[in-house]
Amino acid sequence: MTEDHSQGGPPVAQPPLAQAPQANFVSPKTVAIYGVLTALTAAITIITVIPFPPTKGYFNLGEAMVFFSALIFGWRAGAICGGVGSAIADVIIGYGYFAPITLTAKGVEGLVTGTIARLNGGKKWSSVLGIFCGGSCMVSIYFLAEVIILDTGIGYALSEMLTVNIPQVAIGGTLGFVLAHYVRKSIRLPK
Amino acid sequence: MKGVFDLYTARDTFLHRLDPRVKILAVLFLSLLGFIMTNLIPLFTLLCFIILLLYLTRSTFSKAYFALKFVLRLMVLITVLWPLFDQSGTPVLAALGPIKITEPAIWRGLTSAIRIGCLATVWYILMFTTTQRDLVRALVKMGLRYDFGLALAISLRFIPTFGFTIESIKDAQRARGLEFDKGSIIRRSKNYIAVLIPAVVYALRTAETLSLSLQSRAYGARKDRTYMREIRMRSSDLVSLVIVVLLFAIPAVAKFVFGAAI
Repeated sequence: MTEDHSQGGPPVAQPPLAQAPQANFVSPKTVAIYGVLTALTAAITIITVIPFPPTKGYFNLGEAMVFFSALIFGWRAGAICGGVGSAIADVIIGYGYFAPITLTAKGVEGLVTGTIARLNGGKKWSSVLGIFCGGSCMVSIYFLAEVIILDTGIGYALSEMLTVNIPQVAIGGTLGFVLAHYVRKSIRLPK
Repeated sequence: MKGVFDLYTARDTFLHRLDPRVKILAVLFLSLLGFIMTNLIPLFTLLCFIILLLYLTRSTFSKAYFALKFVLRLMVLITVLWPLFDQSGTPVLAALGPIKITEPAIWRGLTSAIRIGCLATVWYILMFTTTQRDLVRALVKMGLRYDFGLALAISLRFIPTFGFTIESIKDAQRARGLEFDKGSIIRRSKNYIAVLIPAVVYALRTAETLSLSLQSRAYGARKDRTYMREIRMRSSDLVSLVIVVLLFAIPAVAKFVFGAAI
């Protein structure tokens, strides 16, 4: 392979592409899908804010995307896209101090859901069981983190668990399940 | 909610010029400082210091208000709810049936609220002064794998895009008669299915195009990447780093070695 520098450009210091060490990156498809799912999780968390009249609280449907990623793309996507996407959304909408906790809670949620949903060949009831277990993990991690790490007091943690987190997981889980069902039908998914 | 997808404000302060890695470390150290402090007055001093730094970022008023209103609400809630669940302490100020309000509980609630205030506001020093691109670059420099950094950069880039797409899908469904602001909470959530499905399908198609364009730009062809903008530590960055480490180390040593009450 000869290189011609007669045009006056500086000599190229790097080795030619064929000799350069190949990067062992994940495939471009994976990067694109993870990036897009993370962005979608964050965007849905930020935009779909539904007021919850009994306590004047708000909750969002970002949970549905965490469950969806875990059900369709497996536990790795569930953990990464759910955790990172929700953490980014937390930082953007002004709950930055929650971001590490959210990363853990939603990451574990996606991981557990994705793992259990693939058991027994991915039957419907294993998805339901996965969503239930993942949701319980997320609610308990939030509660424990608020009490132990952030030290917000049992009162605040309990009120947040009952009024925000549990309804959010229930509705998010149902929507995520329905979403996975319809999207599987409507698009040929990349493997 | 519309329009606030990036908290960065373009200014030319010393916090903007600081190396993003130093800023990330500063946020971590100041958060840890908030955790090891247990008394009201040091925590309050820390909060004042953080707010001074936030003032020095010269952010716009609307962004600062947006950032601080959640924190204030949370601090008030903790201060009010703490004494109701913490019944310990002797000077009972008021009693109503089984619920007693004691003086130490009120102080503990206030301390906790101020600690949360510190942990919540310290993030904005980073977010107000660092572009998302610099943030990802700094994380990659600090050891994040390049491909994960790229996925993170892609997702940060697409959040506003998807935000506006979801808004227009909502408008389109509203034009067909779907209501998002009426009815019970179950009905409202159910109506959102008609938004989520098109959004997900759109996103997956975007991912397919994106992966093709990544491939066509020789993603992952060689390991030794070069960058157009390198971030480098200057002497002023090192001085700031030393100051931040000392800010954390002196109280930590005072507490854990000499047993001072802070």
